[in-house]
Amino acid sequence: MHSVGKLTALLIAGSFGVLTLGGGFATAQQTAQPAQPSQPARQVRPPQQPPAATQGTPTQPAPPGAATETDDGAAAASPALQQAEDQLAQAERELNRLAERVDAAKEDDTLLAELKVQVDELSKQIIAASVGTRPRLDEIKARLTELGDPPGEGQPPEAAIITEERKRLLAERGAINALTGRAENLSVESRKLANGITATRRALFSNTLLKHTDVSAAMLSEAVTATVDEARALSRSIGSWLAFAWNYKRVPLLSALFLSLCAAFLFLVGGYRLFSPFLRHQDEEEEPTYFRQLSLAFWSTLIPTMSLTAFAASSYFFLNSFNVLRPDIGPIIAITLAMSVAVFFVTRLANSVLSPKRSSLRLVRVSDRGARMLMVPIFAMALVNGLDYLLGSIGESLGSPVVLTVARSFLASIIIGLILMSMALIRPMLRTDEPFEAPGRPWPRVISLSFLLMGAALIAIALSGYVGLARFIATQIIVTGAILVTMYIGLLTGKSVSKQGAFAETAAGRYAERRFNLEQVALDQIGLAAGLGIYALVVLFFIPLILLQWGFQIADIESWAYRILTEIRIGTITISLVGILAGVLFFALGYVVTRWVQRWIDGNIMARSRVDAGVRNSIRTGIGYVGVGLAGLIGLSAAGIDLSSLALVAGALSLGVGFGLQNIVSNFVSGLILLVERPFKVGDWIVSGTTEGFVRRISVRATEIETFQHQSIMMPNSLLINASVGNWTHRNKLGRSEIAVTVTYASEPRRVIELLQEIAAAHPMVLKNPAPNVGFTTFGDERMTFELRIYVADVLKAGDVRNDIRVSIYERFRDEGIGAPFPMKIEDVTPEEEAEPPSIEDEKVEPQPEQDEAVERPISRRRSR
Amino acid sequence: MRTVFAALFCGMLMAGVADAATVTNRDEKTAVLVIVEGESRMEFAIASGATEMICPSGCFVTAPSGDRVGLQGDETIEIVNGSVVVK
Repeated sequence: MHSVGKLTALLIAGSFGVLTLGGGFATAQQTAQPAQPSQPARQVRPPQQPPAATQGTPTQPAPPGAATETDDGAAAASPALQQAEDQLAQAERELNRLAERVDAAKEDDTLLAELKVQVDELSKQIIAASVGTRPRLDEIKARLTELGDPPGEGQPPEAAIITEERKRLLAERGAINALTGRAENLSVESRKLANGITATRRALFSNTLLKHTDVSAAMLSEAVTATVDEARALSRSIGSWLAFAWNYKRVPLLSALFLSLCAAFLFLVGGYRLFSPFLRHQDEEEEPTYFRQLSLAFWSTLIPTMSLTAFAASSYFFLNSFNVLRPDIGPIIAITLAMSVAVFFVTRLANSVLSPKRSSLRLVRVSDRGARMLMVPIFAMALVNGLDYLLGSIGESLGSPVVLTVARSFLASIIIGLILMSMALIRPMLRTDEPFEAPGRPWPRVISLSFLLMGAALIAIALSGYVGLARFIATQIIVTGAILVTMYIGLLTGKSVSKQGAFAETAAGRYAERRFNLEQVALDQIGLAAGLGIYALVVLFFIPLILLQWGFQIADIESWAYRILTEIRIGTITISLVGILAGVLFFALGYVVTRWVQRWIDGNIMARSRVDAGVRNSIRTGIGYVGVGLAGLIGLSAAGIDLSSLALVAGALSLGVGFGLQNIVSNFVSGLILLVERPFKVGDWIVSGTTEGFVRRISVRATEIETFQHQSIMMPNSLLINASVGNWTHRNKLGRSEIAVTVTYASEPRRVIELLQEIAAAHPMVLKNPAPNVGFTTFGDERMTFELRIYVADVLKAGDVRNDIRVSIYERFRDEGIGAPFPMKIEDVTPEEEAEPPSIEDEKVEPQPEQDEAVERPISRRRSR
Repeated sequence: MRTVFAALFCGMLMAGVADAATVTNRDEKTAVLVIVEGESRMEFAIASGATEMICPSGCFVTAPSGDRVGLQGDETIEIVNGSVVVK
């Protein structure tokens, strides 16, 4: 037996190294959360109540009918039973006492260790108590066999004394079974208590960073013993489970494996099929863009990991649902699967990022050799951490002693320290002009020194006995480092997206270009925004992650974020980012609503009520001012700016108004008056000083006037209010127009007047009321001057009307022989001059630069209307 | 370093001493034992004629016949007619 034991021990000792690498995730997380000690306590407490409960309701299958007599008859009959009963009762009391002491000594590791020894002793006693009843049980069984089975239906009845004895024996057998059942429950409770103590001690070890552990030969030897024991227990339970599963659940086991393999295959093939466009060009592109490299890295990491995850999840699911798993094996299998997926993922990710084989796909700029070398420590660290976590979980489910956790953490810290130190020796750096094949340069001094120092410090701390601290630091270094590297890649992504023209190359960019017909500039702007967004996301996601990793609680981070958003205090000033954002949001909302109301009132109500265009404009502008003002006020108060403090600003402003802002304010107020009083409106033809033209827009500070030459003149509103403004189209568009006609004294004035009136009356656009009239205005030196005054409905059309009337006058006078209706030199007429066409000098009052305009002026001077 | 090796060796020696209970099924058919060891309760199947090692640190076994026995971990037991016989 001994030799066999040694052989197994030798075999298993090989796995000791593997088993003791430890403490990883579990340690870190327990260390990171100081609030946890209550959990182990919870685990310890249950043993107190259940013993009482199990006493009352024994679950053991006592033979039917024996229950009532058991206690009196059977117990009296057998002193062994009575003795065992007494022992159990005592053990139960002892167990309760121990549970109370454990509860009280939650923080005291030494006392807990002592208590654990006592509980283990108690477990042995409980088993011994039940072993004591074994001979009696054998006797009973032998006697029952001698007595034989009770007679059946048709057989002759046996002697009463035999029936009596059998009955008694059966009762006693039941009592023994009941007692053993009680012992069984008690033993389970005591084992629970023992495991609870171990869990508490393990948590104490993990949570107490500065606990000094003696790293000595004795401790190591204890660790080896424990490791061998645990390995044996593990292999035994796995072996028995495998044997059981293979012998009795072969079909479910195999079909579960088959189905999960199918699922993995489906994921793998489906993934590659689905995302082949992202993966295809791998070999064609010589210089893929950074974004392309990223998507390649992403998909080539994700697809295999997903299929492995599918395999792991589905095999656990099927094994579980086919009832192949046993409660003690289930967690071990689950953890093993999860760990393999995690290690695979990390390795795969590192492989995609470093891409040791294809330098063109490398996401970080390191040399070929450097990339290959870097893969080794990364894989090693992932493996060490994974194994550590795996073994920690297995140890927990097996209830391994604390010394194992210590030893595992010790070994893991030293290995990680060595890996860190070895990383300092790698030479991956490249200058910007060097090719990837270059041998590479060492890390910058800071990085390599910190690697060396961290590794040495880890080993030193572990060796000096602060194993918990060393393990904690090791985990932090690895996890924080991994997060930082991922963050760095995220930032690189943001940078590459915001680079000029990079966004247009991406799938989203191409889609946007196709779908929305975006220009290059717009795409670039979107790319910039996307890059900034990625930066923000990276920072917002990873910084809380690092903080969480360092042991800050989510509640802490939430409250910080909340405070940063709501209340930044600088001296006595409090700035609230949320408030400012809300203010901006409210203002934007108010602005949009204002514009909408403006459009609605203008387009629906006023357009249907045939309101004049100018009025519509005034109302619209007014609504715009009011709405924007209201939105501004709401925004200000939403931003948390006290409106009463604006009084101060207003005071300062009024001083400013007194000096520099005077003009602007006066223009603004004038603009408001213009809108309210409406001396003119948009579209009116106004004259102010030397400026004449159509009003195009009335805005806050100035009014835009478009002259007949289409020159826009911005006239300050205050000028329009303070100076006199002529408006041709104020109340209506009725206008009077004059045409001067000169004839020689040879003509008959009455006839001329008559003719002119006839001509005016004949024109359709000349109003009948007020009727056109003709005035004899001047006795000239040679000629008389008449003036035909006509009224037109639309003063803008007056030019055309005048034109028509002049033509008619000329033709009519020529026909009537009245003579030219315009001044002519008649005193010294030479034959040559007579032959020339008459000079065009008819309207003495009209300087004519605007004659070619679309709209003509009816007269030059306006008389009173 | 020497102490470390010595400790490792001692550990292995000590681990080698540990034993377990041996169960042999003498029945014609497979026996399913319910073994309560530590905190867990598990079913343990032993094929006809097979010998298995169970519970090195003590346990309770419920035989197919319904009888329960406590084991200290160093016994040799047999299953005869569905009931447990401790040798």
